[in-house]
Amino acid sequence: MPHCLFSAVPTVAEWWPIALPLLAGGAAIYLLLPRPQSHPMVWGAGLGLLALVLAGALLLRGGVSPETILFWSFSAIAILAGALLVTQHNPARAALSFTLVVLSTCGLFLLLAAPFLMAATIIIYAGAIIVTFLFVIMLAQHPGLSDADDRSREPLLTTLTGFLLLGTLLFVLQRYDSRINDSARNVDALIQRTREAAQQDTRAAMDGKIGTPGDEDELFNQFNKLFNSRPDWKDLHAKAEQVALAWSDNDLVTDPAVVEKSRARLEELIVLGEQARNRLGWLPPAENTPLSNMSGPPPTVESEQVRRDEAGLPRMPAQNAAFLGRSLFTDFLLPVELGGFLLLVATVGAIAIAFRRS
Amino acid sequence: MTALPLHYYLIVGAILFALGLIGFLARRNLIIMFLCVEMMLQGVSINLAAFARYRGNLQGQAFILFIVTVAACEAAIALALILMLFRRYSSLDVSKWQELREPGEEPTEDIEPLPPAPRVPPLPHLTPSGVEPEHRPEESHV
Repeated sequence: MPHCLFSAVPTVAEWWPIALPLLAGGAAIYLLLPRPQSHPMVWGAGLGLLALVLAGALLLRGGVSPETILFWSFSAIAILAGALLVTQHNPARAALSFTLVVLSTCGLFLLLAAPFLMAATIIIYAGAIIVTFLFVIMLAQHPGLSDADDRSREPLLTTLTGFLLLGTLLFVLQRYDSRINDSARNVDALIQRTREAAQQDTRAAMDGKIGTPGDEDELFNQFNKLFNSRPDWKDLHAKAEQVALAWSDNDLVTDPAVVEKSRARLEELIVLGEQARNRLGWLPPAENTPLSNMSGPPPTVESEQVRRDEAGLPRMPAQNAAFLGRSLFTDFLLPVELGGFLLLVATVGAIAIAFRRS
Repeated sequence: MTALPLHYYLIVGAILFALGLIGFLARRNLIIMFLCVEMMLQGVSINLAAFARYRGNLQGQAFILFIVTVAACEAAIALALILMLFRRYSSLDVSKWQELREPGEEPTEDIEPLPPAPRVPPLPHLTPSGVEPEHRPEESHV
């Protein structure tokens, strides 16, 4: 299978789990967008809830842990409040639902080990939202319906645009994920088989585990085939072939310590498999990326050398804020200065725009 | 225990981004358009935070700080624009700025009329305090 996301036409089984919640959500947003003659709200709200439930069922395939429950609640609140922000007639309520979006995003930041960003986002957006609220109270308080709040520009076309974009993004993500999952499952199965072979007590039993009646090196051939299937595994392919050569070497077979030495060969094969497993979903950066290791392992570190926790994720620095500051003031010193300059220019520009010329 | 796959966070970010895009294109209230842009930025921030977590590197979080900076600048400019629009047209409707369109373009007009506003029920009239209400002299039938 070529290593390209758009290589094949999607099958029906591939696209319908994504298309169903998308269609329901798109119809809900379309029905709920403000317009002079509103559709009954029940239809839009029901379709929106249906879309959320369908999307949740897509996610449910993973199993339940506290982290997943928190993730579901935060993301469901964020998406619901986002939909409310888009469809709400009253600007004050829209601003309130935007606070909900920000708060649940901050929850997701905490789940992603970013406590400093959580605090900073809450503090900054609290100020921004209060100012927006002041503006709403100052300017948007007129009785009755208005062109600004009760009409939409091209509701059908905008909904189509947004959900086409979303569908494309989701489809690419799903295809990428299913590729990675397939590769991971194959590697895991092969590693498991190698472990079983390494636990045997005699060389003959190991050979029995490794080969099948037609092909006595079947396990090694499987490994080679798998390592050939991804471009980032090519170097592992050569190493696996060396292991296979050493395995069927005559000196090894006649050696008195044959069981121990064979087991060592199989252990090498397991290490190779685990390296391949770690490289999945890992984008290799350019060799000359000029970034320091102030914010974590430098980009040139191989994925199998990164320290990982029990769940298989790379470890983050414990002193999050301190490392973030070091990274900002070493790797990103010039952007920080530019950001400050941008703030100054924006302030000057805002005053110039809003200045009352009498 | 297994961790959540990276793409779950990417999906949430993508959904927030698309919702913000729809709101920005469809809504006509300048304040709500501004809030929708902020929501798109939140979606991108979730993306960056997720990539930072799943690579064990804080550079993604440093990027989010820059996004927050740009969002603050954008908020300043947007609020100035809101003030300008309201001063000139006494309304927050961005379609009032149609005169900025290209020379050959047709103006968009709202064909469908807005329904009449629901009538506010008359509130009871209360006697102002401090003034003694008129009342008839007390009569006794005892």
